[in-house]
Amino acid sequence: MKSTRHGSATVEFPSDREVLVTRQFDAPAELVFDVLTKPEHVSVWFAAKPLEVCEIDLRVGGDYHFEGFIMDDDVTTCSFRGTYLEIERPVRTVETWVFGGRPDDSAVETVELHDEDGVTTMTTLLAFKDQATRDAVIWTAPDGVHAADGQQGSYDRTEDLLASLA
Amino acid sequence: MARAAAATDLFTAIAEAPRREILDALVDGERPVGELVEVLRMAQPRVSKHLRVLNDVGLVTCRAEGRRRLYRLDHERLRPLHAWLEKYERAWNERLDRMDDYLMDLQQEERVR
Repeated sequence: MKSTRHGSATVEFPSDREVLVTRQFDAPAELVFDVLTKPEHVSVWFAAKPLEVCEIDLRVGGDYHFEGFIMDDDVTTCSFRGTYLEIERPVRTVETWVFGGRPDDSAVETVELHDEDGVTTMTTLLAFKDQATRDAVIWTAPDGVHAADGQQGSYDRTEDLLASLA
Repeated sequence: MARAAAATDLFTAIAEAPRREILDALVDGERPVGELVEVLRMAQPRVSKHLRVLNDVGLVTCRAEGRRRLYRLDHERLRPLHAWLEKYERAWNERLDRMDDYLMDLQQEERVR
């Protein structure tokens, strides 16, 4: 029997230079951790099509590199690279995060897994060096899609406000 | 302040936390400046400065009632932000949905074996 989806991701902006994405999965943390850190898994789900490049050297100081068609259009390619700074299986990894080959826009990504009765909550925190960098990246990330149709700018924690308006 | 002056669109206007706090405080309805000063524990000149920026981009509107100036949120102006957030979340969810599906498939295979 197929299990049910545990809702969709929430995106928050805990500070001016951060993005926090939270999502639950109906799977134990060990499995989620493997699916996040083993190339044979990542290459399958990361993009709309299997990744062209999927290298993961899972040790502190080791690098990862993902590259492929991010969208179904066979045109938009994308790359993510970085170096692992901390690894604590199956609850946490910290790594540098460079999107689209722009090292100036790098962030530190902290992925944390919290398993409660086989349902794992994953939080992904991207911490950029400053607000300008975050804003430059999030207006095109995570999939190279122009999230705001070319509008530039920044905002923060607005979803709280928007939620309260709903 | 150069930054405030440069806040030409609503995205930039709400980049600063105090302005978001003001918007939050106006969610439930119209409020006089004095009340915002009290609720936000912010000096009146600061509140006024931020209100001016929000007013410039149309996120708040202002009316006078006697000697009081009352500010209210223009919910309609928040729509573009809402649309953007939805799009951004959707982009994330496309990837995370694939991950979710993959996790389900893996576990199903596990059970079949």
